[in-house]
Amino acid sequence: MKGKAKKVFMDPLGANNPVFAQILGICSTLAVTNVVKNTVVMTLGLTFTTTLSSLTISALRKLIPSRIRMMVETLIIATYVIIVDIVLRAFLPDIWQQLGPYVGLIITNCIVMGRTEAFALSNPPGLSLIDGLSSGLGYTYVLLIIAFFRELLGSGSIWGISVLGSQWTNWSIMIMPPGAFFMLAVFIWVVKGKILPGEEKK
Amino acid sequence: MKREGFFAERVYPVLFMALVTIVCISLTSGIFLSTEDLVRSNETLFIRRAVLYSAGIPVPTNSQEVMNLYSQRVEEVTDSDGELLFYRIQGEAGTPASFSIVYSGPGLWGEITAALGFSGDLSRMTGLDFIKQNETPGLGARITEAWFKEQFRGKMGPFVMVPEGTARGSSEVDSITGATRTSDAVLTLINGGIEKAEKIIALGGGR
Repeated sequence: MKGKAKKVFMDPLGANNPVFAQILGICSTLAVTNVVKNTVVMTLGLTFTTTLSSLTISALRKLIPSRIRMMVETLIIATYVIIVDIVLRAFLPDIWQQLGPYVGLIITNCIVMGRTEAFALSNPPGLSLIDGLSSGLGYTYVLLIIAFFRELLGSGSIWGISVLGSQWTNWSIMIMPPGAFFMLAVFIWVVKGKILPGEEKK
Repeated sequence: MKREGFFAERVYPVLFMALVTIVCISLTSGIFLSTEDLVRSNETLFIRRAVLYSAGIPVPTNSQEVMNLYSQRVEEVTDSDGELLFYRIQGEAGTPASFSIVYSGPGLWGEITAALGFSGDLSRMTGLDFIKQNETPGLGARITEAWFKEQFRGKMGPFVMVPEGTARGSSEVDSITGATRTSDAVLTLINGGIEKAEKIIALGGGR
């Protein structure tokens, strides 16, 4: 059991990462990664949602009639997302304004939906919690790396603090949606082409 | 697992869904209601900060100080139906009062709401601040940066936008490179706001 839990935890962080291996959750990956601060809030929101919805649905899995399981999944996911939305709105109103519709769009994030459908429905709550959490973390670190480079190259700053100085010319394309496509493609190329095959050979 | 029969196939799913829905809705409603006051006071705080900023008054970082300063300096002028028309801001010892209005218009992605401040004789703007905007972070959202907002102080419209870094005249302002459509939207918003201010402040007996 311990070995299985470890495998469930490590899988989404490496070879089975939801973003660069399964290419899920791309909409938000492209949309929110132009500023590191927003990315952090977004990934926390997603990790919270995917962890708790996996746990909840796994706990209910024997009660959910299979023909309406998608409705139940969506409803439970939506509940957690609305909670995130309300909490942000009350406690971090500045960031809530900047994230705009993207928090609400976690509801339709394929990672959350995919983990509940593919994993939580057929595994016990403990493992599902681990799976949800590590899928969220897998999403988090990929987005943070992308956001780091996009904000650095696009605005010359990190976390809103200027680091490249005034002689740096901002690459405006990096903070626009096309910049995210380039950045994500480069990231996938580096990870899948350079890092992962090396790991497999060991 | 496979369940059969009328109850398991027809009734149970409906009951189950209804139950889950009730639980989820109670949960979200409960959280919504318990944070409602906080959300409302955040919104009020945003507006008050913007009104003070648009009047050229340095805005304190502490929210309690913002509230105190606001109640000392700002009077909300309403029409006979109690509808808010504009804000009258007391001048420093002896100087005439100035005015601010809150005005909204379309941006590139969503509605932009701004507080626009004017001197007592409406001859120049005392400043402006954005209360709500959804522009592209790093591009259009740069309208919220100080350099952009500060350039309106002491000038009067109708404004003309010129390329970033070339504004000279008293009705010229720098636009934002890479955010032409946001710049245009803000220009329309501010020029519309100026027209509205001229009407509304005369109406409210401001002048």
